[in-house]
Amino acid sequence: MSSTTSIRNRPEAIRAVPVRHPGRWIAVAVIVLLTAMFVNMLVTNSAFHWDFIAQNILSTPVARGALTSMELTICAMVIGIVLGVVLAIMRLSPNRVLSSAAWLYIWAFRGIPRLVLCVLFGNLGILYGRLEFGLPFDHQIGQLFGVTDFHARIFGLNWSSLIYGFVAGLLALALSEGAYMAEIVRAGMQAVDPGQTEAAQALGMRRPTVLRRIVLPQAMRVIVPPTGNETIAMLKDTSLVAYVPVTNELFFQLQHIGARTYLIFPMLVAACIWYLAMTSVLMVGQYFLEKRFSRGFGATGRARMRLRTRGAGAPGGVVEE
Amino acid sequence: MSDAEVSDQPEPPGPAGSTDLPPPADCMVLADNVHKSFGRLEVLRGIDLAVPAGSVACVLGPSGGGKSTFLRCINHLEKIDAGRVWVDGELVGYRQSGDRLHEMRERDIAEQRSRIGMVFQRFNLFPHLTARQNVMEAPCQVKGKRRTEARTRADELLARVGLADKGETYPAQLSGGQQQRVAIARALAMDPKLMLFDEPTSALDPELVGEVLDVMKDLARSGMTMVVVTHEIGFAREVADTVVFIDGGVVVEAGPPDQVIANPRHERTKSFLSKVL
Repeated sequence: MSSTTSIRNRPEAIRAVPVRHPGRWIAVAVIVLLTAMFVNMLVTNSAFHWDFIAQNILSTPVARGALTSMELTICAMVIGIVLGVVLAIMRLSPNRVLSSAAWLYIWAFRGIPRLVLCVLFGNLGILYGRLEFGLPFDHQIGQLFGVTDFHARIFGLNWSSLIYGFVAGLLALALSEGAYMAEIVRAGMQAVDPGQTEAAQALGMRRPTVLRRIVLPQAMRVIVPPTGNETIAMLKDTSLVAYVPVTNELFFQLQHIGARTYLIFPMLVAACIWYLAMTSVLMVGQYFLEKRFSRGFGATGRARMRLRTRGAGAPGGVVEE
Repeated sequence: MSDAEVSDQPEPPGPAGSTDLPPPADCMVLADNVHKSFGRLEVLRGIDLAVPAGSVACVLGPSGGGKSTFLRCINHLEKIDAGRVWVDGELVGYRQSGDRLHEMRERDIAEQRSRIGMVFQRFNLFPHLTARQNVMEAPCQVKGKRRTEARTRADELLARVGLADKGETYPAQLSGGQQQRVAIARALAMDPKLMLFDEPTSALDPELVGEVLDVMKDLARSGMTMVVVTHEIGFAREVADTVVFIDGGVVVEAGPPDQVIANPRHERTKSFLSKVL
């Protein structure tokens, strides 16, 4: 049977009438109609003041505000990621003290809204003028032993002159991000096959080396996509630092122009355009990062593609014979 | 291989229960009354084993009998609960001072492991590294070898396992048999004095088993001390100096293959062999 099939000629390729999809055409019609209505609303309503948007969207204070927002995003994410990796390693540590401390941090900073954190950090200077390091409860301990003026502070710095505006906003965003990143990194590390750690240990690698060379690089594949989400969310959340207050930030600047000129809505539209443009840039970056960290895993995809082309080529070869 | 066969101890060492046994110098692996439990489940209930340097020990037995757990105790991937394991005269995982045992620091355990190669059932190659990088990784990271030097050695080892042209390939693009051979090369790159194999061919398609066994035979011929947990009775018969049959957490029978495989004395060994042969 099988020997005869190889001798028989290849039959004519199937040319069947494809299934019709009337639903798709209806969907196209509806969407085109809705888009036209939306564009009509944007263009014909003079309340949008497109000329005013065009005038102001690239003005110096607005551009500077966008730059500040970008800076805040990048710095907060860098600090947040580093903090997140450290917290995730602590969280997975066999040392109970370290893992509980990380749990407590995550509990606190994930539970408090970012807006509240921003206001809180903006006002920390009122609570503590100076930040000092040394023996805790030194005054109370001194009093316990009858010394009224006992000081055991090693060094101090002027908190209120350090933690304000940009730095306060950055701290609020970065510390909160650290908690979220910790959970993302932990999920990534737990997604790596335990056999990888075992193989590395069997080769004589120590825990730090195993983490740095084997576990984290593989975890990156799982970590990068949600981190991209976090970065985009962070860019949007930079608008919260207006409450610290940080005034040279994008949204505050646009609102400010709106409030001054009574053209509030056009400036909101300008803000949308700015945020969309910046998130688009971030998405491009994310694409390349994802590609970089799927090395060795994307390989199966490539191999599959090669198989597919080879499979398609084979029957063609039979026809020619 | 021939001198290993003359070895004077095909039998497992004698009295279980002795604790301060000084390790014989000619034994690469010496296990004395090893116990291990996972929670309430007692997996190893007093394993004794001696593997002379340069010889090959094949560990046979039904699944769940404790073979793999015992193998993992030899390089301290599992902590034993009682008994002693020595590798090359050195206590594994612990340091004895007086009559007290001290847990080793991670650094010292890692150092011990670096001299014991291990090959896993599921290969466990590092998927984000190419075959060559897999082999180079440990020499560079653990021994601090220079990359050029490690690279030359990695290419030698890949050639030795018949994969000279696969250096740039990622594990996902290799067949199971090729992956396992890379894993063997990776273990050899640390110049181990002992190789542990944990069912190295059990996850392979039948037609790929041969290529891995050939590499292992070649390794045995070169004088490497090997402990092989396997279901390949043919391999055990051909290569092993000692065959150890483990079931229920104890060594049921041990001896040269023509004794244990051809003429098993114990009922359990007989019934197991009748099923797999």
